[in-house]
Amino acid sequence: MNTSNTRQIEVEAVLPHAPELVWKTLTSGELMKRWLRMPSTGFAAVVGTKFTYQTTPAGEWDGIIRCEVPEVVQNERLVYSWKGGHPSIPEGYGAVMDTVVTFSLSRAANGTRLRLVHAGFAIPRNERAYANMSDGWKGVVKTIGELSAEEEGAQ
Amino acid sequence: MTRQANISIVMRALSDPTRRTVYERITRADEITVAELTRSSGVTQGAVSQHLKALKLAGLVAERPEGRNVFYRAQPLGLAPLVDWIDHYGQFWHERIANLRELLKKIDP
Repeated sequence: MNTSNTRQIEVEAVLPHAPELVWKTLTSGELMKRWLRMPSTGFAAVVGTKFTYQTTPAGEWDGIIRCEVPEVVQNERLVYSWKGGHPSIPEGYGAVMDTVVTFSLSRAANGTRLRLVHAGFAIPRNERAYANMSDGWKGVVKTIGELSAEEEGAQ
Repeated sequence: MTRQANISIVMRALSDPTRRTVYERITRADEITVAELTRSSGVTQGAVSQHLKALKLAGLVAERPEGRNVFYRAQPLGLAPLVDWIDHYGQFWHERIANLRELLKKIDP
Protein backbone atom coordinates (compact mmCIF):
# COMPACT_ATOMS: atom_id res chain seq x y z
CA MET A 1 0.00 0.00 0.00
CA ASN A 2 1.33 3.40 -0.98
CA THR A 3 0.39 5.57 1.98
CA SER A 4 1.42 8.84 0.33
CA ASN A 5 -1.40 8.51 -2.22
CA THR A 6 -4.17 7.35 0.04
CA ARG A 7 -6.83 8.78 2.30
CA GLN A 8 -8.50 7.45 5.40
CA ILE A 9 -11.81 7.68 7.20
CA GLU A 10 -11.76 8.32 10.95
CA VAL A 11 -14.75 8.05 13.26
CA GLU A 12 -14.52 8.59 17.02
CA ALA A 13 -17.17 7.96 19.64
CA VAL A 14 -17.30 7.87 23.43
CA LEU A 15 -19.59 5.05 24.47
CA PRO A 16 -20.95 4.98 28.05
CA HIS A 17 -19.98 1.33 28.63
CA ALA A 18 -16.93 -0.56 29.86
CA PRO A 19 -14.21 -1.35 27.26
CA GLU A 20 -14.72 -5.09 27.91
CA LEU A 21 -18.37 -4.87 26.85
CA VAL A 22 -17.61 -2.69 23.83
CA TRP A 23 -14.93 -5.17 22.82
CA LYS A 24 -17.32 -8.10 23.13
CA THR A 25 -19.94 -6.29 21.02
CA LEU A 26 -17.35 -5.42 18.38
CA THR A 27 -15.82 -8.85 18.13
CA SER A 28 -18.39 -11.57 18.91
CA GLY A 29 -19.82 -12.86 15.62
CA GLU A 30 -23.51 -12.72 16.60
CA LEU A 31 -23.36 -9.23 18.14
CA MET A 32 -21.23 -7.95 15.27
CA LYS A 33 -23.96 -8.89 12.77
CA ARG A 34 -26.49 -6.85 14.75
CA TRP A 35 -24.64 -3.54 14.37
CA LEU A 36 -22.64 -4.10 11.19
CA ARG A 37 -25.76 -5.45 9.40
CA MET A 38 -23.86 -7.38 6.74
CA PRO A 39 -23.76 -11.13 6.25
CA SER A 40 -20.29 -12.35 7.21
CA THR A 41 -18.59 -15.71 7.08
CA GLY A 42 -15.76 -16.95 9.24
CA PHE A 43 -15.03 -13.94 11.45
CA ALA A 44 -13.09 -14.45 14.69
CA ALA A 45 -10.97 -11.96 16.61
CA VAL A 46 -7.95 -14.25 16.25
CA VAL A 47 -4.74 -13.34 14.39
CA GLY A 48 -4.58 -15.02 10.97
CA THR A 49 -8.34 -15.49 10.59
CA LYS A 50 -9.66 -14.96 7.05
CA PHE A 51 -13.29 -13.98 6.61
CA THR A 52 -15.68 -12.29 4.19
CA TYR A 53 -18.55 -9.85 4.12
CA GLN A 54 -21.21 -9.86 1.44
CA THR A 55 -22.05 -6.37 0.18
CA THR A 56 -23.90 -5.04 -2.86
CA PRO A 57 -22.35 -6.25 -6.13
CA ALA A 58 -21.52 -3.79 -8.91
CA GLY A 59 -20.71 -4.65 -12.51
CA GLU A 60 -18.26 -7.57 -12.57
CA TRP A 61 -17.60 -7.33 -8.84
CA ASP A 62 -19.47 -9.92 -6.76
CA GLY A 63 -19.69 -7.56 -3.77
CA ILE A 64 -17.55 -9.77 -1.53
CA ILE A 65 -15.17 -8.03 0.87
CA ARG A 66 -12.21 -10.26 1.77
CA CYS A 67 -10.64 -9.71 5.16
CA GLU A 68 -7.75 -11.05 7.21
CA VAL A 69 -6.82 -10.30 10.82
CA PRO A 70 -3.14 -9.35 11.35
CA GLU A 71 -3.46 -7.94 14.87
CA VAL A 72 -5.61 -8.43 17.96
CA VAL A 73 -5.02 -6.93 21.42
CA GLN A 74 -7.93 -7.99 23.58
CA ASN A 75 -10.09 -5.08 24.79
CA GLU A 76 -7.81 -2.60 22.98
CA ARG A 77 -7.24 -3.11 19.32
CA LEU A 78 -8.62 -5.08 16.37
CA VAL A 79 -7.15 -4.73 12.89
CA TYR A 80 -8.29 -6.37 9.68
CA SER A 81 -7.67 -5.94 5.99
CA TRP A 82 -10.68 -5.04 3.82
CA LYS A 83 -10.28 -5.84 0.15
CA GLY A 84 -12.80 -5.74 -2.65
CA GLY A 85 -13.74 -4.39 -6.03
CA HIS A 86 -12.92 -5.49 -9.58
CA PRO A 87 -10.22 -4.21 -11.98
CA SER A 88 -12.82 -3.67 -14.72
CA ILE A 89 -14.30 -0.84 -12.64
CA PRO A 90 -11.99 2.19 -12.99
CA GLU A 91 -13.34 4.34 -10.17
CA GLY A 92 -16.29 4.88 -7.87
CA TYR A 93 -18.20 2.14 -6.07
CA GLY A 94 -16.81 -1.25 -7.12
CA ALA A 95 -13.30 -0.09 -8.03
CA VAL A 96 -10.42 -2.12 -6.58
CA MET A 97 -9.90 -1.36 -2.91
CA ASP A 98 -7.07 -2.58 -0.69
CA THR A 99 -7.72 -1.07 2.71
CA VAL A 100 -7.30 -1.71 6.45
CA VAL A 101 -9.82 -1.23 9.25
CA THR A 102 -8.57 -0.56 12.79
CA PHE A 103 -10.78 -0.39 15.89
CA SER A 104 -9.01 1.07 18.94
CA LEU A 105 -10.54 1.19 22.40
CA SER A 106 -9.32 3.19 25.37
CA ARG A 107 -10.85 3.85 28.76
CA ALA A 108 -12.50 7.27 29.00
CA ALA A 109 -13.91 9.10 32.04
CA ASN A 110 -17.47 7.96 31.26
CA GLY A 111 -16.83 4.72 29.47
CA THR A 112 -14.86 3.86 26.37
CA ARG A 113 -13.41 5.91 23.57
CA LEU A 114 -13.77 4.07 20.27
CA ARG A 115 -11.67 5.18 17.35
CA LEU A 116 -12.26 3.63 13.96
CA VAL A 117 -9.80 4.20 11.14
CA HIS A 118 -10.46 2.83 7.67
CA ALA A 119 -7.23 3.54 5.81
CA GLY A 120 -5.66 3.03 2.40
CA PHE A 121 -8.21 4.42 -0.04
CA ALA A 122 -6.53 5.32 -3.31
CA ILE A 123 -7.30 8.89 -4.24
CA PRO A 124 -9.69 8.85 -7.19
CA ARG A 125 -8.00 9.91 -10.40
CA ASN A 126 -10.68 12.46 -11.00
CA GLU A 127 -11.01 13.69 -7.47
CA ARG A 128 -12.48 17.08 -8.38
CA ALA A 129 -15.48 15.35 -9.91
CA TYR A 130 -16.18 13.49 -6.69
CA ALA A 131 -15.29 16.18 -4.19
CA ASN A 132 -18.81 17.50 -3.64
CA MET A 133 -20.74 14.28 -3.67
CA SER A 134 -21.01 13.51 0.02
CA ASP A 135 -23.66 16.11 0.88
CA GLY A 136 -26.65 13.93 0.25
CA TRP A 137 -28.93 13.57 -2.72
CA LYS A 138 -29.22 17.20 -3.57
CA GLY A 139 -25.50 17.81 -3.72
CA VAL A 140 -24.95 14.69 -5.76
CA VAL A 141 -27.61 15.54 -8.28
CA LYS A 142 -26.43 19.14 -8.59
CA THR A 143 -22.84 18.01 -9.16
CA ILE A 144 -23.96 15.54 -11.82
CA GLY A 145 -25.88 18.32 -13.52
CA GLU A 146 -22.77 20.48 -13.65
CA LEU A 147 -20.58 17.61 -14.83
CA SER A 148 -23.08 16.69 -17.51
CA ALA A 149 -23.20 20.27 -18.71
CA GLU A 150 -19.38 20.32 -18.84
CA GLU A 151 -19.31 17.05 -20.71
CA GLU A 152 -21.81 18.28 -23.25
CA GLY A 153 -19.86 21.51 -23.65
CA ALA A 154 -16.69 19.50 -24.30
CA GLN A 155 -18.30 17.40 -27.05
CA MET B 1 -21.98 -3.45 -18.95
CA THR B 2 -18.81 -1.70 -17.89
CA ARG B 3 -18.77 0.74 -15.03
CA GLN B 4 -17.67 3.54 -17.35
CA ALA B 5 -20.75 2.89 -19.52
CA ASN B 6 -22.90 3.00 -16.37
CA ILE B 7 -21.44 6.36 -15.45
CA SER B 8 -22.24 7.90 -18.83
CA ILE B 9 -25.78 6.49 -18.84
CA VAL B 10 -26.46 7.96 -15.40
CA MET B 11 -24.90 11.30 -16.37
CA ARG B 12 -26.89 11.45 -19.60
CA ALA B 13 -30.11 10.64 -17.78
CA LEU B 14 -29.53 13.52 -15.37
CA SER B 15 -28.21 16.05 -17.88
CA ASP B 16 -31.73 17.25 -18.80
CA PRO B 17 -32.84 19.88 -16.26
CA THR B 18 -36.53 18.84 -16.33
CA ARG B 19 -35.62 15.20 -15.91
CA ARG B 20 -33.31 16.15 -13.06
CA THR B 21 -36.19 18.01 -11.37
CA VAL B 22 -38.45 14.97 -11.79
CA TYR B 23 -35.71 12.78 -10.29
CA GLU B 24 -35.17 15.13 -7.34
CA ARG B 25 -38.92 15.14 -6.69
CA ILE B 26 -38.88 11.30 -6.62
CA THR B 27 -35.92 11.19 -4.22
CA ARG B 28 -37.81 13.46 -1.80
CA ALA B 29 -40.91 11.21 -1.81
CA ASP B 30 -41.07 7.62 -0.56
CA GLU B 31 -43.17 6.71 -3.57
CA ILE B 32 -44.96 8.89 -6.08
CA THR B 33 -47.32 8.44 -9.05
CA VAL B 34 -47.04 9.94 -12.54
CA ALA B 35 -50.11 12.09 -11.82
CA GLU B 36 -48.50 13.57 -8.68
CA LEU B 37 -45.24 14.15 -10.53
CA THR B 38 -47.09 15.87 -13.39
CA ARG B 39 -48.87 18.19 -10.98
CA SER B 40 -45.60 19.43 -9.48
CA SER B 41 -43.48 19.52 -12.66
CA GLY B 42 -45.28 21.97 -15.00
CA VAL B 43 -44.94 19.68 -18.04
CA THR B 44 -47.43 17.24 -19.60
CA GLN B 45 -48.03 13.75 -18.24
CA GLY B 46 -46.66 12.37 -21.52
CA ALA B 47 -43.39 14.27 -21.02
CA VAL B 48 -43.13 13.07 -17.41
CA SER B 49 -43.65 9.48 -18.59
CA GLN B 50 -40.81 9.87 -21.10
CA HIS B 51 -38.50 11.20 -18.39
CA LEU B 52 -39.47 8.32 -16.09
CA LYS B 53 -38.64 5.86 -18.85
CA ALA B 54 -35.14 7.35 -19.22
CA LEU B 55 -34.59 7.37 -15.44
CA LYS B 56 -35.73 3.75 -15.25
CA LEU B 57 -33.35 2.70 -18.03
CA ALA B 58 -30.49 4.39 -16.18
CA GLY B 59 -31.35 2.39 -13.05
CA LEU B 60 -32.18 5.55 -11.10
CA VAL B 61 -35.82 4.77 -10.37
CA ALA B 62 -37.91 1.64 -9.88
CA GLU B 63 -41.64 1.20 -10.40
CA ARG B 64 -44.33 -0.72 -8.55
CA PRO B 65 -47.72 -1.18 -10.23
CA GLU B 66 -50.68 -1.31 -7.86
CA GLY B 67 -54.21 -1.41 -9.23
CA ARG B 68 -54.51 1.34 -11.82
CA ASN B 69 -51.56 3.29 -10.45
CA VAL B 70 -47.82 2.90 -10.89
CA PHE B 71 -45.70 4.11 -7.99
CA TYR B 72 -42.15 5.31 -8.61
CA ARG B 73 -39.32 5.40 -6.10
CA ALA B 74 -35.63 6.31 -6.22
CA GLN B 75 -33.08 3.51 -6.45
CA PRO B 76 -30.27 4.70 -4.18
CA LEU B 77 -27.79 2.34 -5.82
CA GLY B 78 -28.49 3.98 -9.16
CA LEU B 79 -26.08 6.72 -8.19
CA ALA B 80 -23.48 4.23 -6.96
CA PRO B 81 -21.33 4.54 -10.10
CA LEU B 82 -20.76 8.17 -9.19
CA VAL B 83 -19.95 7.86 -5.53
CA ASP B 84 -16.43 6.91 -4.53
CA TRP B 85 -15.36 4.47 -1.85
CA ILE B 86 -14.44 7.21 0.63
CA ASP B 87 -17.94 8.69 0.53
CA HIS B 88 -19.50 5.25 0.65
CA TYR B 89 -17.55 4.11 3.69
CA GLY B 90 -17.63 7.52 5.39
CA GLN B 91 -21.39 7.20 5.59
CA PHE B 92 -21.27 3.46 6.21
CA TRP B 93 -19.10 3.73 9.33
CA HIS B 94 -21.03 6.66 10.81
CA GLU B 95 -24.22 4.61 10.50
CA ARG B 96 -22.60 1.47 11.87
CA ILE B 97 -21.10 3.23 14.91
CA ALA B 98 -24.58 4.68 15.59
CA ASN B 99 -25.99 1.11 15.39
CA LEU B 100 -23.29 -0.04 17.79
CA ARG B 101 -24.25 2.70 20.25
CA GLU B 102 -27.93 1.65 20.09
CA LEU B 103 -27.09 -2.03 20.51
CA LEU B 104 -24.87 -1.34 23.55
CA LYS B 105 -27.69 0.69 25.07
CA LYS B 106 -30.00 -2.35 24.75
CA ILE B 107 -27.44 -4.78 26.17
CA ASP B 108 -26.26 -2.53 29.02
CA PRO B 109 -28.96 0.11 29.71
